[in-house]
Amino acid sequence: MAVEFDRSIIGQVFDETSFPPVTKEEILEFAAALGEKNPLYTDEAKAAKGPYGSLIAPPTLVTKLRAKKFTPEHLPKFGKVGFDGGRDLEIHAPIRPGDVLTMASTIHDIYEKTGRTGSMYFIVIRNEVTNQKGEKVAVIDHRIMQR
Amino acid sequence: MSTLYFEDIEEGDELPAIDLFLSKDQVRQYARTAGMYVPRFTDDEGARAEGLPGMIAPGVMSMGLLAGMISDWNQAAEIKRIGTTFRSPVLPDRNIHLRGAVTQKIEADHTAECDIWLENDDGERWVVGTATVALPTKA
Amino acid sequence: MARILDLHLHSEASDDSRAPVEAYLKWLTRKRDERPLEGLVLTEHRQFNKAGDYRDLEDKYGLLILKASEVETDYGHMLVYGVNDDIISRFDFKNVRLSAQEVITEVARLGGIAMPCHPGRPTIGLIEHYQKKPPLEGVVGVEALNGGSKKGENERVAGLVQAYGYHAFGGSDSHLVSFVGLCATEFDRDIKTIEDLVDALRAGGYRPLDFRVQRPQTPLAPEVPNHGCGI
Repeated sequence: MAVEFDRSIIGQVFDETSFPPVTKEEILEFAAALGEKNPLYTDEAKAAKGPYGSLIAPPTLVTKLRAKKFTPEHLPKFGKVGFDGGRDLEIHAPIRPGDVLTMASTIHDIYEKTGRTGSMYFIVIRNEVTNQKGEKVAVIDHRIMQR
Repeated sequence: MSTLYFEDIEEGDELPAIDLFLSKDQVRQYARTAGMYVPRFTDDEGARAEGLPGMIAPGVMSMGLLAGMISDWNQAAEIKRIGTTFRSPVLPDRNIHLRGAVTQKIEADHTAECDIWLENDDGERWVVGTATVALPTKA
Repeated sequence: MARILDLHLHSEASDDSRAPVEAYLKWLTRKRDERPLEGLVLTEHRQFNKAGDYRDLEDKYGLLILKASEVETDYGHMLVYGVNDDIISRFDFKNVRLSAQEVITEVARLGGIAMPCHPGRPTIGLIEHYQKKPPLEGVVGVEALNGGSKKGENERVAGLVQAYGYHAFGGSDSHLVSFVGLCATEFDRDIKTIEDLVDALRAGGYRPLDFRVQRPQTPLAPEVPNHGCGI
């Protein structure tokens, strides 16, 4: 059964969250959890001599940023359970220790499909991440599947 | 780890495969680090209460592992874009196989497109996606 | 002219694929020893890519490229071959709740053919629907070999094919360049046009082909140190 909802929420920023500065420890811990061996992410001394002049975060670190509001307050429920259907990540700038990141969230799209587990709705949340210099750091499209 | 230039790679190149046993502890470690320490990623009972067969690895963990595969193949590859679809939950306490291949070389901006995926022992592809990497050039 | 074709794949025209058609053709050319395909059929999700013109690519790579669609119905997904203006007018391809019976019957009446794909898939496959609802009238064949299926799915379809006397075909269901042609269909007759394909699918004289490489099973014991993922 199709769920009715107000399509004007699409494209509206429903949350903006700033995060405490990224720490060196956070970067090293994240790299270790993924078994990363690239010295850019694991070796401060070597990374300092590299193309970025410092340790940088592995590319998927932005996916751990958690907005204050994951979805807009009045978003209807399209299903009982939500699952991560997939992520698309554009990387524009590296993340260094000390960077203060801000994330703005919008609903990018809502659509219905029938897939492996039956009828399901996809809510695409777009997170735009910028740093303290106003540089675009990343854009993450997060496809939440609800059924 | 190697450093590969744009001129060193060819369309059709396979990224070095990574085969590993994904343990529950590794998944919990990632979940802790990523601020995702919730039942579905840490506890079988809790995961079953949500309709899952048991605890699962977060989709973004698989994504991170696939990004790591790219880094292992070529530490000079700068990931500009990476997209993955989580087709089936990745259950820990079993082997997972990370695979990839260079499918397109784009001369105009010295980038390459890669297919990347995670499969189980039966060849079922649980996570599939693509990445765009920028490469240094010798020119 | 082609006898071995991949009957199910998605290009960048489908919302969940980034594969350019030319990249598919290059890959097939490179892999022709392992996957000896002569053509492919683009089955884009919930649309018919009328504007897509691949004739130049056909000439450049010597491979046949045909266009079709994958639609969603109350009995699962279906591949629609021979899409024409009448079929486009008759059905809203974006509707994810099309009536499967109407699709099968009307598409046939209007000159095409609709065939259930990944029928062995849990929850949404034809086999699951047949357990709860009457079988569809007029199904000629099903995708017995789907490249994206999990273990056991394709095997379940053998029972369906036998029980109902359906023809069986294969397709990769590729959304990624490198998965093209892993499963395909071999025809007894030459296929040059979409009309040839529709006629051949109706008549029979084809079978699925599996070009997937079986990886040798070398299970890693828990005691083996993990590559990369340190604790």
